[in-house]
Amino acid sequence: MKRFGAIALSVCLAGPASADVDAALDRHILPGLDAFADAAAKLERETAEDCRAEALRPAWNAAFDAWTQIGDLRIGPSETGALSIAFWPDARGFTPRTLSRLVAESDPIVFDPAAYSDVSIAARGLYALEMLIHDPAFADYGRDSYGCALARAISSDLAGQAARLEQAWEEAFAETLRTAGAPDNAIYLDEDEAFRALYTQILSSLDFTAEQRLGRPMGEFDRPRPTRAEAWRSGRSLRNAVLAVDAAHALAKVLADWPLPETDAAVARVHEAAAHIDDPSFQDLTNPQGRLRAEVLQQAVRGVRASLETETGARLGITPGFNSRDGD
Amino acid sequence: MTRTLMTTTALLAAIAGTAQAQTAPEVLETYADIAQAKYEDSLIAARVLRDAIGTLAEQPSAGALQAAREAWVEARVPYQQTEVYRFGNPIVDDWEGRVNAWPLDEGLIDYVEGDYAGPSDENQLAALNVIANPTFELSGEEIDASEITPALLQDTLHEVDGIEANVATGYHAIEFLLWGQDLNGHGDGAGDRPWTDYAQGDDCTGGNCDRRGAYLTAATDLLVSDLEWMAGQWAEDGAAREAVTEDERAGLSAILTGMGSLSYGEQAGERMRLGLMLNDPEEEHDCFSDNTHNSHYYDGLGIRNAYLADYVRIDGTRVSGPSLADLVAADDPALDAEMRQRLSETMMALGAIKTAAEAGFAYDEMLERGNAAGEALIMGGVDALVAQTRSIERIVAALDLGGVEMEGSDSLDDPSAVFQ
Repeated sequence: MKRFGAIALSVCLAGPASADVDAALDRHILPGLDAFADAAAKLERETAEDCRAEALRPAWNAAFDAWTQIGDLRIGPSETGALSIAFWPDARGFTPRTLSRLVAESDPIVFDPAAYSDVSIAARGLYALEMLIHDPAFADYGRDSYGCALARAISSDLAGQAARLEQAWEEAFAETLRTAGAPDNAIYLDEDEAFRALYTQILSSLDFTAEQRLGRPMGEFDRPRPTRAEAWRSGRSLRNAVLAVDAAHALAKVLADWPLPETDAAVARVHEAAAHIDDPSFQDLTNPQGRLRAEVLQQAVRGVRASLETETGARLGITPGFNSRDGD
Repeated sequence: MTRTLMTTTALLAAIAGTAQAQTAPEVLETYADIAQAKYEDSLIAARVLRDAIGTLAEQPSAGALQAAREAWVEARVPYQQTEVYRFGNPIVDDWEGRVNAWPLDEGLIDYVEGDYAGPSDENQLAALNVIANPTFELSGEEIDASEITPALLQDTLHEVDGIEANVATGYHAIEFLLWGQDLNGHGDGAGDRPWTDYAQGDDCTGGNCDRRGAYLTAATDLLVSDLEWMAGQWAEDGAAREAVTEDERAGLSAILTGMGSLSYGEQAGERMRLGLMLNDPEEEHDCFSDNTHNSHYYDGLGIRNAYLADYVRIDGTRVSGPSLADLVAADDPALDAEMRQRLSETMMALGAIKTAAEAGFAYDEMLERGNAAGEALIMGGVDALVAQTRSIERIVAALDLGGVEMEGSDSLDDPSAVFQ
């Protein structure tokens, strides 16, 4: 996998086109954060009313949908903030283990809303709540049980995180991106750096969808790993992949103020490939047909990345930076 | 754009060697020389470790175990400084999982206790305990492990069932066999395996002491042979040396890719921030020995000496020469000064973690839920590494290393490998 991407010797073909960081903020990122904060607040209210698993699922799904629109951003306040909202993948099973421990010990921290932010990220955020309200090991808790208090604690903590994340972008980091190149901006020394930061997020998101959201459950041909799919318990695996591609596409379109016909066509191919997938939680990857369809989808997502590089970064002569999720 | 363009032009002139004392080929030679020195040092230290482990297996005693532990800690110093060579060099990246894979489900190897998770959905073999089981079943097939050999560890056990947490070889497998599980949670103390786990006859604790000694010996033999191989890759006519020196741009990209990927995604991200946010005492790089502060510190030092082309060997001699820093400074002294400053700030931040750990505030204590001082120390390191990554990106942009297809980490090449 290339790291800085195929850069091409296109330095300064930029011409009149210019990247629109303001538009990316005003038309995609900030509204997306606001919508997620609203959805998380609604989830918190519903949980206060009825904490049981079945009752929570619609609001949880709505919050997750909202998250996918800005969830793959990993810069500024989101660099750390996203980890405690969306801890995945969990290759070593920290989430079930941490939730089990809280339940087994009836850890009183769930009764102290402010203190819950000290808990391991494995027991916070959207995926912890998914496990709690979808996994049979946890999901049948009653109204007055510890599980109920745990659901409230996770929902309240999530709503608080969503509000703080939006605030941190609104009040500080958006300005940092907008003022790239200003004398007092120590983070982005020129406009290219702000563009590169957002551009890197878009490409990293597409990589993450192709290699993690799809690649993880695909595993090897003779050893598929369907239970490594993202959010398979709730049947969201395919939906998350498609929504993440749509979000990357939408952000790219506002960031670039010129047409992206190849990218648009590549995204259409993603939708087409997704329509052929039978099981929205990728549990059919064990049969050859299911796997083949997932491979087609994965190729389509990689195709979006390639088109975007050609139509945006290469056009401006800007290469992506390092990816925060690039560890081994 | 204008600044970038001017920078680019001048730097390309520098790379071409038209008017500069330091040329890219010289910089790449130094980079390869330092790699060779680091892997040779790692090999020398691993051989010392092998001798100490031979003594432990043949004449077990408390002193022999202690000597082996000390040799392991010393062996980590040069090895961690090589990690900056990983991400930019496919030959290193494809190999490194044999020697430094982490984290591991150690129950694969030996007995475990406490709240160790055992077999899980992810890993059915997490509690296999090959030391206690001369035969075991794997995907319906009976495996003969009656003789514990380097080949058994490397070819059969390592990453068995395609699971990266099934780490059967390398520094951390050896670490587990020397220290044992750290059962102190976030409290004081590292793993405390008794030396009698290697004792003969009735004195043996933990069962199967002979097999444990055989495992430890085989794993260390394998470490030595793996390091021999890698040192050879960087020697005169070695493949890794040729790969970085044959194309100037690709070579310079390899240096910067290694620096940036180790700084950002790997060290700041996976190893430090994520571990902190999980609040798990096992989420530290050297969790059995509580040597994580040193692992982080020497990783940081490796990044710094890749830029400055200056490495102090384990015998105190110095390997240095024309550096990437020289190339950058020749054209843009301010960018070079910024990079040096950031690298120094990282070493101060990682040094603060090391200092506190050496004074008794162990890394797993810093990870504890609600420990504000520990969090501040670790995040100080994370923030410094993130800041230095921005400077590395600026150098990448200034050097205009365009059109280079670069190999990345296995997280992207091999999707199942993430979080390894």
